[in-house]
Amino acid sequence: MALPEIISGRVWKLGDHVNTDLLHPPSHFSLNEKRMKEGIVEGMLRLGAGVKADSSDEGWIIVAGENFGCGSSRETSVRGLSAFGVKGVVAVSFARIFMRSLVNLGIPVFESGEIQGCVKDGDLVRISLMEGWIESPDSRRFPFSTIDPHLKKILDAGGLVSYLRSEKHGV
Amino acid sequence: MAKGFTGEIIEKHADGRREGQYLSVEVDFVLLHDPTFALLLPELKESGEEIWDREKVLLTVDHFSPPSSIERANIVKEVLSFATEKRLPHLSVYQGICHQLLVEGPWLKPGMLVLGADSHTTTGGALGCLATGMGSTDILCALITGRTWLKPPEAIRIDLRDKLPPYIMGKDVILDLLGRYGEGGFLYQALEFYDMDEAIPMDDRFAICNMVVEGGAKNGLFWPDRVTENYLIERDGHLSRPGNWFDGERQYLRKIEVDLASIKPKVALPHSPAQVIDAEEIKDEAIDQVFIGSCTGGRLRDIELAANLLGGRKVARGVNLLITPASQRIYQKAIEKGYISAIIEAGGVVLNPSCGPCGGIDKGILGREEKCLSTSNRNFKGRMGDPSSRVFLSSPLTAAASALAGRIVDPREVM
Repeated sequence: MALPEIISGRVWKLGDHVNTDLLHPPSHFSLNEKRMKEGIVEGMLRLGAGVKADSSDEGWIIVAGENFGCGSSRETSVRGLSAFGVKGVVAVSFARIFMRSLVNLGIPVFESGEIQGCVKDGDLVRISLMEGWIESPDSRRFPFSTIDPHLKKILDAGGLVSYLRSEKHGV
Repeated sequence: MAKGFTGEIIEKHADGRREGQYLSVEVDFVLLHDPTFALLLPELKESGEEIWDREKVLLTVDHFSPPSSIERANIVKEVLSFATEKRLPHLSVYQGICHQLLVEGPWLKPGMLVLGADSHTTTGGALGCLATGMGSTDILCALITGRTWLKPPEAIRIDLRDKLPPYIMGKDVILDLLGRYGEGGFLYQALEFYDMDEAIPMDDRFAICNMVVEGGAKNGLFWPDRVTENYLIERDGHLSRPGNWFDGERQYLRKIEVDLASIKPKVALPHSPAQVIDAEEIKDEAIDQVFIGSCTGGRLRDIELAANLLGGRKVARGVNLLITPASQRIYQKAIEKGYISAIIEAGGVVLNPSCGPCGGIDKGILGREEKCLSTSNRNFKGRMGDPSSRVFLSSPLTAAASALAGRIVDPREVM
C-alpha cells in the first residue's frame, strides 16, 4: 500500500515548541481510541486552536513551527491525531521521538519553513509527495525537504509494523 | 560528521544495513513501563511474535503505581498478566521509577545501546551508554527483532570544570544549559559531558542526562571516568571493564565550556524548562506546593540535601511539601539515614516511589491557579494539573529552601 500521490486537508496551524503534554494532556491517557481522540480536542482547547474540531470533512494537515512535538514519548498523542483525521504534518522542525512516531503510524511528515506565513487556519492545502511541494489555496507551491528513503519506505508500507512484516516476508 | 562517543557506539552496534541516513543497529537493553507498554501490548500479542531476548528487558509498573482508577487498574492487570505468562525475568512492580530502577540494576554499562519507551530514558547515559527514548511502536519492533533504525546524531562536547559548590546541583547545571541554548537548542544532537575534575556525583549526572531531552537532544552521556567506575563497583560488587572505554580521540561539532563554580541556583519559569533565570532574581513568588521527586530529582543525594536543609526547621504555613523517593531502595536508605524523619518533622509528606505528581498522574495534582515548585523535568502548561496552574522547576536544594521560606528563594538565603 503506497502513499497516495496527493494528500489534501484543512490547515490547523500551531506555533513553535508545541509539546505533547499540551497537544494531548496526560490526564487523557487511555487505550481507548475515542478517549485518545478526545485528548486532542482538549489539547485544541488548551492551545487556543483557530479551528473547530468538527469543522473539516477533508481531514487535517497540521502546519507547525519549530521543534514540533517536544516532550513525552506517549504515542497517545500521535494515535489521537490519527483518530482525529490528521493526514500529514508540516513543520519547520520536529522533535525526534514525535517525528518517528508519526512516521511509524503512517502519517507523513514534511519539513518546510516557508509555508507557515502563507496559510491560515482552515485553508485547504494539497501536498504532492512525488513532486515535493505543498500548495496553498492561492495555488502557490512551497517545496519541502526530501523525505529520507528509510522513512519513505515505512510510510509506503503504511507504518512501521507493516514495514517490518513486509521486510520479514521479503515482499 | 562529528560522531563523538555516541557515533562510535552506533557503529559498534551496526549490523551493516543502511537506508537513507538510518543504520540498523543491535539493541543491548530495552526499558518498558506500564502505560507505554500497554499501548504496544495488543499488537505484540496479535503478531504472535516473541520478545527477542527476555533477559534484556526490564518491565516496570511505575506510572499507575498503584493505580488510582479502574481504567488504570485494568491496564496494570493486562501488563502483569502478560509478564507472568511470558515469565519476564526482570519485572518490577511499584518498586520505583523505571529510570532509577534501570540504573540500580546490574544491566547498564558504558558503551551499551539502550532504548526505552519513555523520553527520559536518556538518564541512563550518565553511565556512559547511548540511552534514548522512543514511542511504543518503535519499541514494539525493537522487542521483536532486537534491533532498531538510528540516524547518527552530531555530537557536542560539554566540558564541566571545577567542582559543584555546596548550593549547586546537577539540576542547576542542566537548567543553565537549557536556559542558554533553548528548548530546541540541541535538536537531534548527542550531548557528551566530560567531568574534568571527576567530582560530580552520579545522582547529579543522572539529573543532567535526564533533562537533555528538554533541549531536544537524542541522548546525553557522561564520558566514563572514576566516578562511573566507583558507581559500578558499588552497584555490582566488581568491575567488568572492557579495555576500550577510554581509547581514541572523538570528533565534535562544537565544544561548550561550563565553569561549575560560577553557576548560580536556577529556576525554570512556567511553562518551559528552557525559560530559566537565577533564583535570586525571583522576588515574592509565593508557592502552594513544593514537590521533591521524579526521575530527575528524587534520588538519595536529592533527598539528603533537602533533609539536611529542612532538619530542625518547619515548612512555611500554606505550603504543602511532597517528597517522592525515586525507588524503594532509595526510600529505605533515606529512612536508615534519618532523612525521612527530618522531612516529616519539618512538615513534609512522603509519598510512595512512583511517577505520581510529575505527570499529573495521581496525588499532588494542582488546582486552579495553584503554583508549584518542582524538582521534576517538565513544567508544561497543565502537566501537573489544572491548565491554569503554574509550575516552576529547580534543584531539590532550592525546592527545600523555598518550602521553608514559603516563596521561591535562592538556597543560599537559608543555608
